[in-house]
Amino acid sequence: MSDDNPSGRKQVGSDLVIPVVGMAYAVYYVYSVWEFPPEAQRSGFFLAGMLVVLGLIFFARIAVLALRGQVELEFHALLGPPEGRLRRLGFVGLIGAYLLTVQTLGFTLTTFAFLFLGSLVAGLESIRRAATFAAVAALSGWLFFIVLLGTRFPIGPFETLMNQVMPWR
Amino acid sequence: MEMNAAGLAELFLYSVSMWWLIIPAVFIGILMGAIPGFAAHNTIIMLLPLTLAVDVDLALTFMVALYCASHLGGGIPAILLNIPGTGGAAATTLDGYPMSQQGNASRALALSFVASISGGLITSAVTLFMLQYLSQVGFYVRSVEMVVVMLFGLALIAAIAARDMIKGLIAGALGLMLGAMGADHIYATPRGTFGILELFDGVPLVPALIGLFAISEALIMLESRTIAPAASARAMPSWSQTFREILGAFRHWWLMLWTSLLGLVIGVLPGAGASIASFVAYQQARVFSRTPEAFGTGHEQGVVAPEAANNGVTTGTLVPLLAIGVPGGSTAAVMMVVLQFHGVPFGPRLFVQDPVLAYGVIMSMFVAYVFMLFTLFPLTRYLSRITVVANYYMAPMIVAFTLVGAFVPRNFMADLTIAVAFGLLGYVARKTGYNVAAILIGVILGPLLERSFLLSMRISGGDWTVFFSSVIGNVLWGLLAVTLLASPTMNLLRNLRSARNTQSKMEH
Repeated sequence: MSDDNPSGRKQVGSDLVIPVVGMAYAVYYVYSVWEFPPEAQRSGFFLAGMLVVLGLIFFARIAVLALRGQVELEFHALLGPPEGRLRRLGFVGLIGAYLLTVQTLGFTLTTFAFLFLGSLVAGLESIRRAATFAAVAALSGWLFFIVLLGTRFPIGPFETLMNQVMPWR
Repeated sequence: MEMNAAGLAELFLYSVSMWWLIIPAVFIGILMGAIPGFAAHNTIIMLLPLTLAVDVDLALTFMVALYCASHLGGGIPAILLNIPGTGGAAATTLDGYPMSQQGNASRALALSFVASISGGLITSAVTLFMLQYLSQVGFYVRSVEMVVVMLFGLALIAAIAARDMIKGLIAGALGLMLGAMGADHIYATPRGTFGILELFDGVPLVPALIGLFAISEALIMLESRTIAPAASARAMPSWSQTFREILGAFRHWWLMLWTSLLGLVIGVLPGAGASIASFVAYQQARVFSRTPEAFGTGHEQGVVAPEAANNGVTTGTLVPLLAIGVPGGSTAAVMMVVLQFHGVPFGPRLFVQDPVLAYGVIMSMFVAYVFMLFTLFPLTRYLSRITVVANYYMAPMIVAFTLVGAFVPRNFMADLTIAVAFGLLGYVARKTGYNVAAILIGVILGPLLERSFLLSMRISGGDWTVFFSSVIGNVLWGLLAVTLLASPTMNLLRNLRSARNTQSKMEH
């Protein structure tokens, strides 16, 4: 169980997320093979059945504890300690922004922006240090991943400019 | 090349010629191993663009050297800061840190280095000579037995590595379910893909492992400002002290020998990783010690036993991977992904098609430990400082650079999103006590399990009893049942006993 609270009861709400998601996926999986010939359905039914049975055992255990008054449905464990919760959510938002912009801005600029904003959101207080860190890391990353290893990550304005400045690369 | 003495000597020289790769890998491994929570598999994941881009023998040598070194590095902050760098070093804190507090940090570090390197050398040498017999195991494991072996491996991980067995089993089953995503083996029709084209070939393993381990780790890192308090980084031993103690450490040779072999045996069991091996070795060393009462107070044997054992595990976890294609732990699972990318077969096929590669893995390990003897000591003085690198630098860097690794294998932008999705799944799993290694191993084994399952059913004409038709399979079913029933039975007995004790106290 995830956590204890001041009342002494275990908080189990967040513990249910994985089994619920897993069982929902198992049901969807079975639905997606429903029209298949029996031979192609077997392994899906076997795996989905196993996951559903395990999930039901887990729910039964929680239900027994709930009947005894030993657990309560709380989801605090999922979000971690209250201090800095907004910062962490902001960081997840930045990861989403990275995914949306990387194809347009390319590796180096997106990485620079992500590291700069990410370090500030994560708690770094000096803008100058964040900018220096982001610039050094992004340029090192460009040198290592793009120039040295030849990774075919999306290119943006920076990579296009460097290709023109260093055409021999 | 035949694997007789001459073949092994040739392989040894070939591995030595890779010194230019092994030495940097050793330094990176020690450095990263010294960062708590940043285990070998995380470092290998960060460097995936490198290991996927180079030849398979170079990639393997690099990964193996890094893996061994990170186990050794984990002991440094455990001794100096009371913070284990890796799970395998948790037992080292029990006597290592008290030694530091008593002003014997140098001796504790010397004991840790000598025990780790000796343990690694002993177990890799033993494995090299045993590998020809272990490689035969795969010939006795057919599709029927493979199904049971995979289920048994997952059950072991759930029972040993996860703190809550039912959660471990759910994690493994969810991994298997996700691993069965994509086109089916018979009709090539997509299943459970949500209509996403990039998932038609199944879950891409590299983005899945990057998400489950690296991105989720970065999200959890943000909950604290730094890994270790800044003041604790000042606790550094002097060099003259360290070197003086090195020779003295060898008087524990017998303890190093048997605890490293114990680590090797435990490492072979899927799921039973370095943390379990080191605690078992610590406990056994105390049982057989002449001074058991000194354990926990800064006893030398309390440092030697766990360090030798957790380095013995490094060899052990690779044995099931090489012999039958089932990874013995998280790092072996990551290595399996890299090897699969390079098209390397596992099990008997590996020993038939590419025996040099199979033996080369263990030989690289042996050579890495030899190199550590000469390269390690001049750097250790400064290593503990890494633990005060602020998480506001570490977390964004881990995310930004591992996402490049997620992109490399297929060059699909969708793989970045898949990695982040698995990162969120891994985060929820970690926060709620579901074992992420069990999920990953499930994802890896999912397609293999399905193939073996369908093959067995086809051979038997759809008869389910085929899974109980072989002696080896039935023995494994028995062990699987014991594994699943042992923990609840023990809990039940413990509850009954405590209830009986409470009742008898009330009567008195």
